[in-house]
Amino acid sequence: MPMTRRQVLASGAAAIAGSVAKPAIAAKEPIPIGYLPALTGPSSSTGVGINRGIQLAVQEINAAGGIDGRQIELITRDTQSDPTKAVNGAAELTRGQKVSVVFGPVNSGESLAVVPLLARTNTPQVHPCWVDSLTDPKKYPMCFRNAPTNQQIGGAANGYVVDVLKHKKVAVVSDTTGYGTASVNAYVPMLKAKGADVVYQGNVDAANPDLRPELLRMRSAGAEAIMPWSVNAGFLSRIINTRGQMDWDVPIVGQTTLGSGQTQALLEKPDYWAKVYPNNFRSVCYAADGKLSDRTSAFLDRLKSAKIEMGDTLLWWIALGYDSPRMIAEAMKAVGTEAEQVTGYLNKLKEFGGVYGDISFTPDRHDGYPDAEVVMVEANSLKEGAFKVAPGYGA
Amino acid sequence: MVESIVLSGTAMGCIYALVAVTYNVMFSASRVFSFTAGALGMLGGVLGALFIARMGLPVALGLVLVLVGGALLGIVTEIVAVRPVLKSLDQHLYVLSTLALALMIQQFTAIQWSTEPQPFPRLLDITRSEFDQQFWLPMLACAAVIGGLELLYRHTLIGHAFLAIAEDNYAARALGLPERGLRMTSYALAGVIGTLAGFAGGEMLLAFFANAPMLTFYGFVPVALGGMGNNRGAVVAGLLLGLFQQTANFLVGGIFASVAVFTVFIIVLLARPEGLVGAALQRRV
Amino acid sequence: MDTQATPEPTKLRASRANLPGSASTFGAALPFLALLAIGVAFPLFGGGYWGVIATRACVYWVLVSGLNLVVGFAGQIAIGWVALLTLGAYTTSVLAAGNVMPALPPYLALAIAAPVGAVFGLIVGLPALRLRTFYFAITTLGFATIVTQVALAWQSVTGGGVGVPGPVFPEPFASQWGFYYLCLGLAAVCTWMTANIAASRFGRALTAIRDAEVAAEASGIAKPVLLGTVFLFSGAVAAVAGGLFAALQSYITPDAFTLDLSVLFFIAILIGGRSSVLGPLLGTILLTVLPEFAAPLVAWSTFLYAVLLLVIVLAIPGGIAELLDFRNRRPLESDRAIVPQPLLVARLLDAAPAAGSLTLDQVGLSFGGVRAIDGLDLEIRAGQVHGLIGPNGSGKTTTLNVISGYYAPQRGAVRLNGAALPALARHLRARMRIARTFQTPRIVGSASVLQNVMIGGTIHGHGTFAESLLSLPRHWRDEAMLRDTAMLALATVGLERLAPVRADRLQHAELRFIEIARALMLRPAFLLLDEPAAGLSVEEITRLSTLLLAIARAGTGVLLVEHHPDLIFDVCHHVTVLNLGKMLAAGRPAEIRSHREVVNAYLGG
Repeated sequence: MPMTRRQVLASGAAAIAGSVAKPAIAAKEPIPIGYLPALTGPSSSTGVGINRGIQLAVQEINAAGGIDGRQIELITRDTQSDPTKAVNGAAELTRGQKVSVVFGPVNSGESLAVVPLLARTNTPQVHPCWVDSLTDPKKYPMCFRNAPTNQQIGGAANGYVVDVLKHKKVAVVSDTTGYGTASVNAYVPMLKAKGADVVYQGNVDAANPDLRPELLRMRSAGAEAIMPWSVNAGFLSRIINTRGQMDWDVPIVGQTTLGSGQTQALLEKPDYWAKVYPNNFRSVCYAADGKLSDRTSAFLDRLKSAKIEMGDTLLWWIALGYDSPRMIAEAMKAVGTEAEQVTGYLNKLKEFGGVYGDISFTPDRHDGYPDAEVVMVEANSLKEGAFKVAPGYGA
Repeated sequence: MVESIVLSGTAMGCIYALVAVTYNVMFSASRVFSFTAGALGMLGGVLGALFIARMGLPVALGLVLVLVGGALLGIVTEIVAVRPVLKSLDQHLYVLSTLALALMIQQFTAIQWSTEPQPFPRLLDITRSEFDQQFWLPMLACAAVIGGLELLYRHTLIGHAFLAIAEDNYAARALGLPERGLRMTSYALAGVIGTLAGFAGGEMLLAFFANAPMLTFYGFVPVALGGMGNNRGAVVAGLLLGLFQQTANFLVGGIFASVAVFTVFIIVLLARPEGLVGAALQRRV
Repeated sequence: MDTQATPEPTKLRASRANLPGSASTFGAALPFLALLAIGVAFPLFGGGYWGVIATRACVYWVLVSGLNLVVGFAGQIAIGWVALLTLGAYTTSVLAAGNVMPALPPYLALAIAAPVGAVFGLIVGLPALRLRTFYFAITTLGFATIVTQVALAWQSVTGGGVGVPGPVFPEPFASQWGFYYLCLGLAAVCTWMTANIAASRFGRALTAIRDAEVAAEASGIAKPVLLGTVFLFSGAVAAVAGGLFAALQSYITPDAFTLDLSVLFFIAILIGGRSSVLGPLLGTILLTVLPEFAAPLVAWSTFLYAVLLLVIVLAIPGGIAELLDFRNRRPLESDRAIVPQPLLVARLLDAAPAAGSLTLDQVGLSFGGVRAIDGLDLEIRAGQVHGLIGPNGSGKTTTLNVISGYYAPQRGAVRLNGAALPALARHLRARMRIARTFQTPRIVGSASVLQNVMIGGTIHGHGTFAESLLSLPRHWRDEAMLRDTAMLALATVGLERLAPVRADRLQHAELRFIEIARALMLRPAFLLLDEPAAGLSVEEITRLSTLLLAIARAGTGVLLVEHHPDLIFDVCHHVTVLNLGKMLAAGRPAEIRSHREVVNAYLGG
């Protein structure tokens, strides 16, 4: 039935009252946090793993009342492993959704494009990408890295090959992504500085189904160890499979994804996984006594009770994903959501206790992960998402 | 090293040759080239992995299903992308319609199957050796197809009918040959050959949606160099292409190898547009 | 002789109002101006995110506008044009970043990218002149892959997989909206330039190459030069788009330049419709914006583009442009009569052709074992109509094709005033004022009747491609001259009322007369007609004869290949009869009519 004039007036008054009352309601508006994972595409293994941790952490934070009563709204834009889409997504998050902080991208190739963009929009950013140039307190004052750098990773891996396994002739191979290329460019000089002889250095298209030509060239160059740097599980599995098919007994030492459940699933034979030493992190590894740290055990229990799948990914990714929003939430709880405030807080962060590791920043150093935590592990010691430290490795 | 080059070069060459034959069979029936030849090759691998690895069907049944799928797709190509445009005055619409169909197949596979190469099952349960099944399966498939086509064209009535349609369309129709039915059958046959190429080559190429553009290109090179519609030329050119590509791959690595192949192809084609074997085109005024 | 009053300038002027390109120029420009207005006002209502999308659409359009000339107008299936986007992006970025030499200012880097793109556009495009359509399409895909692989491999310059930062333009273009206006401005300039070309003799010549290549050659259009020019322009513009793309991305890696992008550009043009600027513009905007409406759509975007392409090809080959072509939906009169006005011929052919003759001197040509022409002597004199008749397969059309340069005689020579004509230089015949028509009318169906006839006079334009591009005065003078001459030619053949109509709506007989009008644009010294009366009614044949007689009277030598004996005997001054490639008889019509062998072999009765 048609509204009477009184009803119109009444609803109009209610609307006005509602808008006047807004400021009080606004305080309970959710806090938008932008999130740029690669959930699909060739470099999605990291993103998928991190995503499980992030979703759990955000759920827990919101269930506990959020940040001062405000819920965290995680606004996700899948970059599809594509730097162009990452740029699109970053633009939308900052200009369209007006997020307070951005977490991600999780792959270096995408971050190379996004970091300068976020710096221009003065949006604080936390990312876990490894390529060294992705933090620069002067150029990107609001950008923080809560994961190791290529220098830290390379230091551990190269050290293992040259000093522990005592191999001088090394083959370094990566895919053609930004991460892979930058890693090879970083690691080859590091190896040479240690006195190693880099007999093969190459970037290979990750989608290449047949890696025999590359491994044959490595073998005829006399390589004694293969060091692959890629987050593409298919690519890494093919390297491992080809080594097995060729019956070539050399160690494979390299990127952490070598140990992921995804890679394991693509192996032709389980025993191909022998003598594969990915890097990983002490916090999520079994110590000499075969036990995990208390913090990590508790985290594993929490994952199990939340029924979060671990078999096809890596525990440290989930842990990193879990720690990141908690770190951001701690900053916001302390100083609010303004960009300058959050940055100021992070600049003084001292040993934020994460499952993955204790993160610290200073105004001059935006790489927050401690050196000592980077270790090499044995891939086929995988049990419940965690690994044993590699043989011969310093305890 | 040399053995590896010869083995994988010949095997890849056979796969390229089979895709080239796919192009040729479609061309013979309709005088147009279809972009879907590469997509058929790709589907041979993807469907094979789907039926055998993912769904657990026995290898023989999987193969039959893959070939049936190829035939169906060939017929769909003919009905949707070729027949409607053959009548049109604009002679080049077939490029667009087959391109559109090929893209649709490719993208659909990428989204539904995976954007990453997936493993292809080991077809015969034999231990690995130097002369492994991943090499001789494509060679066997190629020989079987070439032999089969020879038999078909020379000794069966329907084969003669195919040749007639290819040679002189008007005369064949005037003789009462059912042009449309024969064309559909040709396209179905082409579909079978294309998917067979992908299936036999699956252990080398894996089940990967991006094999489609790769095979579209590399499968066309033997056609261009061997002469349109010329299957023997296609096989020879395909083998040469495979050997050249693998030699470059093993000696200098993937990126330079593909640049080398493309460059050589373009230069040869510019020097002899009708192919190394084909006849120059006469234009009707 | 003729009591009909000469139709006048008044009549011609009245019909001009319906023409494309006069008062309706504003009508044609209106959609573009509307889009520009929306574009300029966009920051007022579009948010920052849509600003990125709008900027992207502008950048894509800069490339697509140039590619439109190649794909839409010239009909070359260049699918791999992303190669030039990649090239332009890297050139601009590397020069601006200072990887190989000291960093250059971004404008300079962009300006250098343009000629680099031009050269590579030519390299990528030139195979089109040698290769068949499908082969050329494949080679462009090959080029796209080569460029990407080189970008990956050449680490020292391009950074390889790591990539390079894009150029950053200084204020006022550094901010988001500032950069948007830069891209909008360049997109507007490119629209203007390509629309100028579309409405010039070059644009028409491109469509002629696409849809009626033999007719284009017969009108004197040199395909290599014109295509080469268009590839240069298209490459330059694509490279500029690449530089803008790199600035928009702020960082480029080789994997940003996917085949999907190439497909987007290509499909935008085909969805938009060929021979149109507005259509592809709308197509580009549509395809850029479409995936943004829903996140799931982004993953399916290439699939959607392919579906759209298939639908367009099968259902509306003319694309958006055809949907927007309201003028050509108006029904035509059904009882149209073709009423040539022979008195206008003298005005049309006022340049007095030099007296002379076109002779075949013992010409012989065989195809394989078949002797198509066997020792033929023929003389076409200025001012006379020479008929060439004979049974099917006697070599009539082959003779005509030899004269017009499609076949080279294996023996003997074709001579113009004594000098031998170069054997296969088809497109030079027009410059020698030898014009022809074809057995099956070769018309650009999607162009208007007037545009089709104007194609005939292409080589009489003086302005260069650049002058048309920039809408300089000589371009306008050419257009006015060509339009006036074409209207006169149409009036001469009696079809001026159909000038604005799209040619593929016309009846067969009208197409034949259009071909004659087109040939007359060359003010030919010699006119070769290949069965012009085929399919004409008795009334139309009578009118055709009057027209042909008038053309001969004006001094042109006409070669008439025909089957209609009445037409031959009414019109010809001289007749040659061919049989099995040899001359069976030659002489005056009266002699031929009663010649015994001719009657036996051909005429009967």
